[in-house]
Amino acid sequence: MTVHAIEDQPRDHAGPRRRHWPLLTALLLLVFAAAAQAQTVRFTQAQAVAADTEYFPELPDVRNVELPDDWAVSRPDHGGPVWYRMYFDAEAVRASGELLALYIERACSAMAVRLNGKLVHLSGRLTEPVSRSCQRPQLVALPVAWMQPRNNQLDVKVMGFPLRQVASRQRAGGLSEIELGPYAALATKHSWRTLVAIRLPEVISGSLFLVGCLIFAMGWLNRAQSFLAYFGALLVGWALVLSRQWVADMPWPNASSEFLLAILASFVTLAAVQFLLRYGGERRRWIDVALPTQCAVMPLTLMVMGAQHLHAMATFWYVVLAVEVGAAAMFYLRKLWLYKRTQFWPMALLGFAMVIAALVEFGAQQFGVDPRIVSAAQILPPLLFVALGIRLVQQYGRQLQDAQHDRAELERRVQEASMQIERNFAQLADLKVEQVTQQERKRIAADLHDDLGAKLLTIVHTSDNERISTLAREALEEMRLSVRGLTGKAVPLLNALGDWRAEFVSRLSQAGVDGSWHAPADDDVPQLLSARAFVQTTRVLREAVSNIIKHSGASRCTVRCTIAEGDLQVVIQDNGKGIPLELDGRLDRGHGMASMKHRAKQLQGQCLVESGPGYGTVIRLTIPLDRHLASV
Amino acid sequence: MKNILLLEDLPEIRSWLKALVMQVFPNAQIVECARVHDALAQVSAQKFDLALIDLGLPDGSGVDVVTALREAQAEALSVIVTIHDDDDHLFPALQAGAYGYILKEQSRELITEQLQRISQGEPPLSPSIARKVIAYFAAQAKPQANALPHVQLTERESEVLLRVAKGFTLPEIGVQLGLSRHTIADYVKQIYRKLNVSSRAEAALEAQRLGLFGRR
Repeated sequence: MTVHAIEDQPRDHAGPRRRHWPLLTALLLLVFAAAAQAQTVRFTQAQAVAADTEYFPELPDVRNVELPDDWAVSRPDHGGPVWYRMYFDAEAVRASGELLALYIERACSAMAVRLNGKLVHLSGRLTEPVSRSCQRPQLVALPVAWMQPRNNQLDVKVMGFPLRQVASRQRAGGLSEIELGPYAALATKHSWRTLVAIRLPEVISGSLFLVGCLIFAMGWLNRAQSFLAYFGALLVGWALVLSRQWVADMPWPNASSEFLLAILASFVTLAAVQFLLRYGGERRRWIDVALPTQCAVMPLTLMVMGAQHLHAMATFWYVVLAVEVGAAAMFYLRKLWLYKRTQFWPMALLGFAMVIAALVEFGAQQFGVDPRIVSAAQILPPLLFVALGIRLVQQYGRQLQDAQHDRAELERRVQEASMQIERNFAQLADLKVEQVTQQERKRIAADLHDDLGAKLLTIVHTSDNERISTLAREALEEMRLSVRGLTGKAVPLLNALGDWRAEFVSRLSQAGVDGSWHAPADDDVPQLLSARAFVQTTRVLREAVSNIIKHSGASRCTVRCTIAEGDLQVVIQDNGKGIPLELDGRLDRGHGMASMKHRAKQLQGQCLVESGPGYGTVIRLTIPLDRHLASV
Repeated sequence: MKNILLLEDLPEIRSWLKALVMQVFPNAQIVECARVHDALAQVSAQKFDLALIDLGLPDGSGVDVVTALREAQAEALSVIVTIHDDDDHLFPALQAGAYGYILKEQSRELITEQLQRISQGEPPLSPSIARKVIAYFAAQAKPQANALPHVQLTERESEVLLRVAKGFTLPEIGVQLGLSRHTIADYVKQIYRKLNVSSRAEAALEAQRLGLFGRR
């Protein structure tokens, strides 16, 4: 038996570097003085044989292989298990009594370790369902008690799957380099690697899942922002994809897990494309149909091609899906460029980072890339997602705030409007009252005309007694004037003067009296006369004219209307025989002087009568206009 | 005046009016009615020269009878005999084609004279009615009022109206304008006629605007 691959120095074949090496070593020795004693041994070669046995088999086809042994290269069609054997000496260690350990960065998918034939470690189940521990670094404590001074046999049995049966090269079978050294030093290395490859994805998976669910719920409840729901779905999908890193044991065969992981990609694509489109304000019916269809077609093609061609088929699909997402991203970025230039660069940077991550991932799946770079690339997208998620939630919050503000504004406006309506209603009600009052007055007036008027009229025309007939006629006129006073509007003084003149002149001319009427020019009488003032003045004038016709015996009568100091003054002068005094020195009541004065008084005016036998009569009527001006 | 329609619902007033009309037109045939319905039937049955029409009747307004008479017998003279002296009641009747009005409570002599004047082609016109007519034609003359070839008053007719509105009597106006009594009366008749023609055209247009025509 030979001892292979016992090195106590890092492999470094680069010429120029070699010259610096002593210096670097010296530095390291200074800095890590404590760790300097920890010498690790790195196995870069091993004897390997494929066999499903309990122990390292004694078979003829044992051959030497380089570590790391990537089955995709060394035995492309072979699954597991494969036995590896390495030898090491342990005199120094046995003497110091230090605890020794093995550090195996990658043993895909699961492995068992035997030291001198004794089982010392199992990373998981080696039979179906095989544990999926490809990413999980292994730390194996080696009991010193079972070690020999020299030529210790280290047998590693690795169970894995050929490349074509897995969806990603990262999960194709293989064994990395193996390091042997002090437990403490390797434990540190192991915990670092575990942190990066297992813990971090675990934590990120969990956070993404929670945040995704939250955002999905936000989008679900608010359909106007459906992109939130798709983003949430994207996060949840990504969390599931990321779980491939840390979920080791599934209750179903490895092939099923690989199948599920592959089709998860189509779901994530659906969410990503829909998110990008809708966030960009676009919604296409055919895409709404096409993407779910793709989610159904993809598993079908994978099943039809069979587990043996999973890798090829999945790779094909990955490219298709990546192109779809890329197209959606380009579409979205173009929209940003056109309409929201300020947001373009952050989003473009984000997209660029995603492209880098995708390329690294793709490279890892196809060609095998340094796992540290892959780990970094795997952590990048979730971090970006979280950043984007925060931005979305912030936007959502702002919109919510805006909506609340709008609602408050709306409420204020509604309140204003209702107040306005109430005000209008009150005005309308007032108007209605006014209208109803007018209508009622008109009704009363009509009733008076129809009932009282008709009866008085009958008396006027059927009574044989001239006195009764005259009284009834006067009553009728009184009634009519009262009604007009009740319903009438203010009358322009000019019109009133016209009416009075017509009546005056026609009555006097019928009676054969020479009448003359003098009134101010049209432009001098802009005043209005209230209906009441008009009616009362009409009565006084009518009474005066009646007196002249009946009693005065005058041949001439003059009326002068003037407007002075806000008063309307009407002077009626005749050349008749005058009004006789009664015994008590007052003017004859039969001439209606008292009622004329009374009417004038009602209007805050006055009516003066000057008369003497043979001198005719002068009646001076003064009506103040101010108080009746525009008194509608 | 041979055939006269007398529409009045109060029996006493009707008989009084009838006696008065008989006195003015001794040879006339007088048809008495108390309802709008009966009057309309009479209008479609025979020709009238003169119609004395009350406005407030139990089954409607005398204005309808004025309208019917105007349409069926353009030559007949409609005269309103009413207790209402306010323009709101009178003006629609004048628009419908009435040819003057008489207030019922006036003395027998006055009514007799007015009837004679009317039959001789001298309809009465009060200042307030004149003002209404002026206002009506002023509104018609506004450019946006309507699209009909509207009837306009001549300058002389307007002049007469303005003077009546100021309280001048028709004989006075005749003297002022140096016109004969008959010429002034003709102007007043023209004014009544134009008021009726214009009102009818306006009513037709209004009906058209409201879609009353062509709905059936």
